[in-house]
Parts: sequence; structure tokens; C-alpha cells
Amino acid sequence: MNAVNFSRRKFLRNTGVAGGGLVIGISLAGCGGGLPALRGSPGSLVPNAFLEITPENIIRFVCPRDEMGQGVTTGLTTLIAEELDVTPSRIQIALAGPHPDYDNPAFGMQATGGSTSIFAHFTQLRQVGADVRALLLRAASEDLGVPVSSLGTDDGHVLLGGARHPFGDFAATAREPPLPEETPLKRASDFKYIGKDFPRLDGMDKATGRTEFGIDVEVPGMMRAVVRRSPVIGGTVKRINSEAAAAMPGIAHIVQIEEGIAVVSEKYWQAKQAADALDIEWSLPALADVTSAQVKADYKAAMDAEDGDATGEQGDLSAGFAAASDTVEHDYWTPYLAHAPMEPMNAVVHVEGDRAAVWCGTQGIGAARSIVAKVAGLDAEHVEAHSTYLGGGFGRRGTLTHVAEAAQISKATGKPIHLLWSREDDMKSGFFRPASLMRIKAGIDDSGQVSAWFAKRVGGNIMPDVVEQMLPFMLPNAVPDGVVNWLAGAVEGAMDGWIVDGVSVEGLFEDYDFPNREVRHVTKDHGLPLAFWRSVGHSFTAFAKETMMDELAEMSGLDAVEFRVRNTRNNPRLQNVIKAAGDHMRRMRPTAGRHLGFAAHHSYRTDVAEVAEISVENGAIRIHKVLCVVDCGLAVNPDVVRAQMEGAIMFGLTAALHGEINIDAGEVTQSNFHDYPILRMNEAPEVEVVIIDSDAHPTGVGEPGLPPIAPAVANAVYAATGKRLRSLPLKLV
Amino acid sequence: MIEFRLNGEAVRTDDAPDTPLLWTVRDSFKLKGSKYGCGAGLCGACTMHLDGQAVRTCILPIAAVAGKDITTIEGLGTPDSPHPLQAAWEASSVPQCGYCQPGQIMSAAALLSANPNPSGEEVETAMAGNICRCGCYPRIKQAILDVAKAGHEVQV
Repeated sequence: MNAVNFSRRKFLRNTGVAGGGLVIGISLAGCGGGLPALRGSPGSLVPNAFLEITPENIIRFVCPRDEMGQGVTTGLTTLIAEELDVTPSRIQIALAGPHPDYDNPAFGMQATGGSTSIFAHFTQLRQVGADVRALLLRAASEDLGVPVSSLGTDDGHVLLGGARHPFGDFAATAREPPLPEETPLKRASDFKYIGKDFPRLDGMDKATGRTEFGIDVEVPGMMRAVVRRSPVIGGTVKRINSEAAAAMPGIAHIVQIEEGIAVVSEKYWQAKQAADALDIEWSLPALADVTSAQVKADYKAAMDAEDGDATGEQGDLSAGFAAASDTVEHDYWTPYLAHAPMEPMNAVVHVEGDRAAVWCGTQGIGAARSIVAKVAGLDAEHVEAHSTYLGGGFGRRGTLTHVAEAAQISKATGKPIHLLWSREDDMKSGFFRPASLMRIKAGIDDSGQVSAWFAKRVGGNIMPDVVEQMLPFMLPNAVPDGVVNWLAGAVEGAMDGWIVDGVSVEGLFEDYDFPNREVRHVTKDHGLPLAFWRSVGHSFTAFAKETMMDELAEMSGLDAVEFRVRNTRNNPRLQNVIKAAGDHMRRMRPTAGRHLGFAAHHSYRTDVAEVAEISVENGAIRIHKVLCVVDCGLAVNPDVVRAQMEGAIMFGLTAALHGEINIDAGEVTQSNFHDYPILRMNEAPEVEVVIIDSDAHPTGVGEPGLPPIAPAVANAVYAATGKRLRSLPLKLV
Repeated sequence: MIEFRLNGEAVRTDDAPDTPLLWTVRDSFKLKGSKYGCGAGLCGACTMHLDGQAVRTCILPIAAVAGKDITTIEGLGTPDSPHPLQAAWEASSVPQCGYCQPGQIMSAAALLSANPNPSGEEVETAMAGNICRCGCYPRIKQAILDVAKAGHEVQV
């Protein structure tokens, strides 16, 4: 199976017990903030960066990935708990600060995303648990004077005969090296917690309002900041009159930063009202000339006139079309989208002479630290960084502009600053899922096989934006700014010219056999900042691919399931999911006026098929039920998998029914939930999730439930009305 | 100076009378469970109870709560002594990111207080003002119906 390839031995050598006495194996120099849970408990066993066992038998786990709702604190704790042999709910969870030991093994950097967390840590964290359990058994054997073979474990205790000795009793002896390595892991049949349903570990804190998000951080002396930004992203201050604002109650500072004007007060509401009272004239960037209609027209012109760059070629496309008995071609449009996590962007930063600190909920705390270091002119080791829980991520919290803003304001005022973006700031001045125009031309032969598949996408690329935003903060401060800017620009240009950005076309061509295929990409970027958005390229490519597959199925005279089965001979796992969903679909008996639509998609190593049951009433699409079949390998916590499928379907339905970010004279026209509506409970369907039974290495869960839902609904709308909708959001009138 | 009762305790604030209750509770009384989501009464993350009624406090000036009883999520229950809805939220793993859940629970508690045995449709109508971007709606709805069915006495 495709487990992450990393050296367990090397990992443990870098982090484990290494010399005489207690060696934590991780640097605490400069107060890096990496180990909040692993400090200041005398007599504790701290065998590596992940675990602490106190003499009182408090067991702490430092969770290396960020919790944004996907259940990662529950999932990763379960991995440790399984091999350490402790009930997951007994383990105290802390969120990791920046340190290489907390890197995501799938990325080689400390980032959470791409539905990688369980996939990437599945072996690593079980190994950590198993090695520490072996260490405790060795220590217990020494302390109790019995062979290891006479000992067992159960829920944080060493068992000897009928006696239960807390792990903590052996913490002192266990501090002697060496830490066992490559302890054999449990067989799946012996799992106590993995594969079993139990409630999320963060449920009660979240239900009682105790979970600390970035917006909840309080630091002594902290001031609140609100920034007025250019109505067109990238604009700069031309003229400012802050007299009225400065005279308002409680205003302590008004400072100019790169992005606009910041107003600072002890209280948010005072800062917000004063910021609204600022009189600012802006110098607008080139984006100010752009409207949504022009973006669409430019994409269409490029689609017709430009060849773009090729990728994903296979077989002989001309021969494939020559062999086709039927050919069809259509264009598909998907708009810009906002992430709109419920917690607007915010961060606390304190720049204080030769040191600094940052607190925020982010998908990359290491990068957050680097960005503060860069703004403050410090080495990263002199910046403390604290992770909080995230009030939604979805890719939005992979961006860090707000952290850079808070750092600038703190540097200018010398105060700890809590910067909070308003909902309008987030909607109008943030980052967006790129808009796309896609064209698919396909041919089918008499046997119901797709003999030719030509797919082309026109739109902006996310990767260059990511590199451009991140690169200046990943390089050492010794490199002059001019060089950094040049590099960032050079990399962006280079990526535009040389290669097709994988995430711009992912999902457009890989799932089916397609013996003869070609994929082309034309980059057209109008300057709206782009970011990863839940399921990234798959969020738009699946819509084009799966509505086209539905159309081809009808042309071939086969039903939607059988047609897809015939074209997935080289992809047995996806085929199996399609067949399973097909079986369930046949058992669904929609009442009069209700119709079914089918779609399937592979993303983040996981296969998902969905069936949407809908009705159309006065031109409005109502989704009543969604059936979702998922193969994500072994489901570490099946209920969390179900929750992620449910959530991804709701997220995808918002995009399918409502989601649209438009620009007029460069300004985003949407501003809040009245004009960027999010699916509400009265629109939410019943969801049934079927998880394919598997003991294969776990694969992605947070995103793969999203891509199939829009095409499943669109295909159901066709069944209901005979109308093929090829634009999102889906509109019948 | 505006006086009101916050989770049963008499409090007073010299925040400006037009300050939304949400910000007085968060910034001045440091109760962080109630969340800012939209600032426009559109998402329900800021929901508290005013004399037992669910209200959107991001647009409710404190001038309007003088002499009133305000309950926040912190006043509804604690991990040691949870409200039945909070217990159900945990048992059914309702929250994902959790940011909107205090507001969801405050809306749900007000609903059950007024209508202890709501239909599914009544739950949907009552909860339509609370947005959950993670899409926990099926579980929120089910947890409310479970609590209603269990016949817990719901107090606010």
C-alpha cells in the first residue's frame, strides 16, 4: 500500500532519548513554544516530541496537526492510544508549536491540509506509541524485578498478576536510554480503538464554549486592531484623514501598514467604529479594471484561441476520435469562491524588542512564526508561536496575510495586538478558489468505452500564488528583500511558463480508463489572490468530468453506473465504490417528483461515489437525500469519516446551489452571508454514508466527499428536467 | 453605566450604550464562548438568551439589555454539569470545528424551552438562522430531536 516513505529509525534517532539521563531531543532554545505540554513537570517521562507521562500518570500527547474540525485530534490521539494502550479519552491533548519533529511526513513541512493527516501519521504515531509502551514495560520489569514477558498493559497501567501499576510509576526508570525502536505494531485484528466508533474527544469542550480559538486568545496588555483595506485587493493608501477616527473614544493608535490603515483600541467595537470613520483615498491596482464578465470573456477567448500547455497525454487522441461512434463537446464554468470559515481571520502578535510571540489558529504554525520573524526582523528562534483550534480552515487558514498585518501593527505600537478581520474583510479582501472554464470533448465507441477524451482548462493557478506568498517568509532574513521579491516573481513567471500546475487540472482525466486522452491548460490570471479551497482542483474538475460522463452514459444507452463500471477496468477500487453505490441506488425508491443523480470521483487517495435525490419545485432545486459510498482504506474512527463525508457534502452543496464570488471594477461584490449564502439547516439533505470495509492503509477523508456532490445534483436535475446544467452554481431560471 | 444580569450575576459596564452585547460580553467580561461570525445578525454564532429568548447579540446594543437577564453558553452548562443538549452534542459527535456550536446550542435550548417536542420541520425552521460552515446540520437536528424525545426538562 502507498504508505508514506520515511525512515522510522531516523525519525526516532532525531527525537528520542539520546544520552545520559533525560534528553528531550528537541531544542527548547529561544523558547520556541513547540512543547507547551512537555514543560515544567519534574520527574516526567518525555521520550520524544509527542508524549509526556507524569509521575501522577497524566498522559499528554502533543498533536502535530491542526484541528480545524476534521477530527484530527481524535484520530491522531487514537493512533498513539492504540499502541501505548491507553483509552483515548484519558489522554490530554496539546497543540504543537513549530518544530521539525511535528512536520507532516507527507509534505516535509509543518502544514495541515490535503487530507493527509491520518494517511501520513498512521504508521509514525503508532510506532511512537508502541516504542514508548515497550520502554515502560522495560522500566517496569526493572522496578518490579520480573521479566517483561510476565507483564501486560491496560489503559495506562502495567499489569502484573492481579496488580495494576500506573505507567507514571515507572517514569523515572523509563528515562534511562535507549528508547526501543521499531517495536512490532499490533495486528489490525487486535485493535481496541482503531476502527471503532467513539465520541470525538473535543466534543464537550466545543459544546460548552471552552475551546480556545484564535479569536479567544487573551494576553496581558493586549490591544485590539481593525484594519481598513483597499476596496480593490492590492490597492495602497494615497491619502488619509484620520482626524475624526483619532478623536473617537478609546483610540490608542492609528498606524499605516502595507495593506492599509490600522486602528488600535482596548476594545474591538471602538476600533471597528473608528476604522469605519477613517477617510481614505486609495491608489488602485490593475485589478480595478476587471469585472467578472470580462474574466469570463477572456477565458472564452483563450479557450478558443490558445493551445496552452499539455499534460496527462496518453495513447493517440486522433485515433481515439476516429474510432468513436459518437462525439460530444461542451464547456463548463465554475466561479470564484470564498472559503468563509465561521471564525474570521485573526491573530495575536507581540513584537517586543529582540523577541516576539504569535498566537493563532493556522494550517501552518511554522510559517506563521516565520512571517512574524520576517516582519519583526528577527530570527525565527526568537519568535514564540502558539497554535489554537481553528474555527474552520478549508484552505483559508493556509494563508497568513492577517498574521503579517498583526505583526506590523505590533511592531509599530510595541503592544500585543489582536487583529480581527470582519466578515466583510474576509469576503472582500481574502483569497479565493479560482474560477475555471473547462472544455471537454469526448468520443465513445459501440461498446460503451470512452475512446477519446480531450480536456482543457482556462483559469488562474493556485501554486504560484502560494509560492509568492510563502517564499519571502521561508528564506533567511540575510537575503535582501529585493532578492526575495525577485525570486518570488521569478518563480511565479517560471511556473506559468514551464509546467501545468497540477492542482489546476487534477481530477479532469485520471479516474477512467481513457486509452486516448490529452489535457491542456491555459493560464489566465486577473490578479484576484488564489488559495487552496476544500478539495482544490477537484472542486471544479469533478463537476465537468462527471456531468460529461453522465451525458456520455446516456449517449451510449447504458445507465450511469454501468457506463462508469465499463470505463474503470484499470481502477478497481473506484470501480468497486461505483458498483456499491449503484447497488444502493437501485434500492432507493424516489417518490413521485423526486429524481436521482450519480457521480463518482477519486481524490486524496480516496474513492467516493454519491447519489443525490432531488426535486425541482418552481425552478428551485431541493436536495432531499444523499447517499455516499467511500473507500478510504481503514477508517480509524468510522464516525469521524461519516461526519467528514456529511460536512463535505454540505460544503459542496453550498457551492452547487449558491456559491459565487463576482468582481465589479476589481471589487468583490459579495460581502456577508446575505449575498454569499451558506447552506442552512432547512436546505440540508439527509445523508447516508457507507464506508467500504477495508484494512488497507488509511487515505484522505476531509476533502474527498466534496467533489462528487455538485455533479450528482446536476445529473439529478437533468433526470428531473431534461436540462443539462454546465455552470455552477446550478440555476434553472 | 448599564446594569444587567449575566449568567445569574449582577454586572455593570461603562461600555458605550451602542456597543453590541457580544463585544461587551467578550471584551469587557471576558466570556469567550459566544462567537463573532458576521456582525449582521445573519449567522447566529453570537446567540445568547435575553430573558430566555434567543437573540443575535452582534447587533443588540447593550442599551437594550439594561435590567435584563442574559445567559451565555457558559451559563447554560459546564463539562461537569452539562445541559442535556451539550451532553447530546458530545455523545453524537455533533461539533466539527465547533466555532458555531455555542450559538447553535443556545438557539436549540430556546427552541426546546418554548416547544419541548418539536417536529423535524419545526427544528429546521427554528435553527435556520444558525449557519454551520462545517455542515453539521444532520447531527444538530438529530441531537435536538434526541433530547426532545428523551423528555429532558429543558431550562434556560
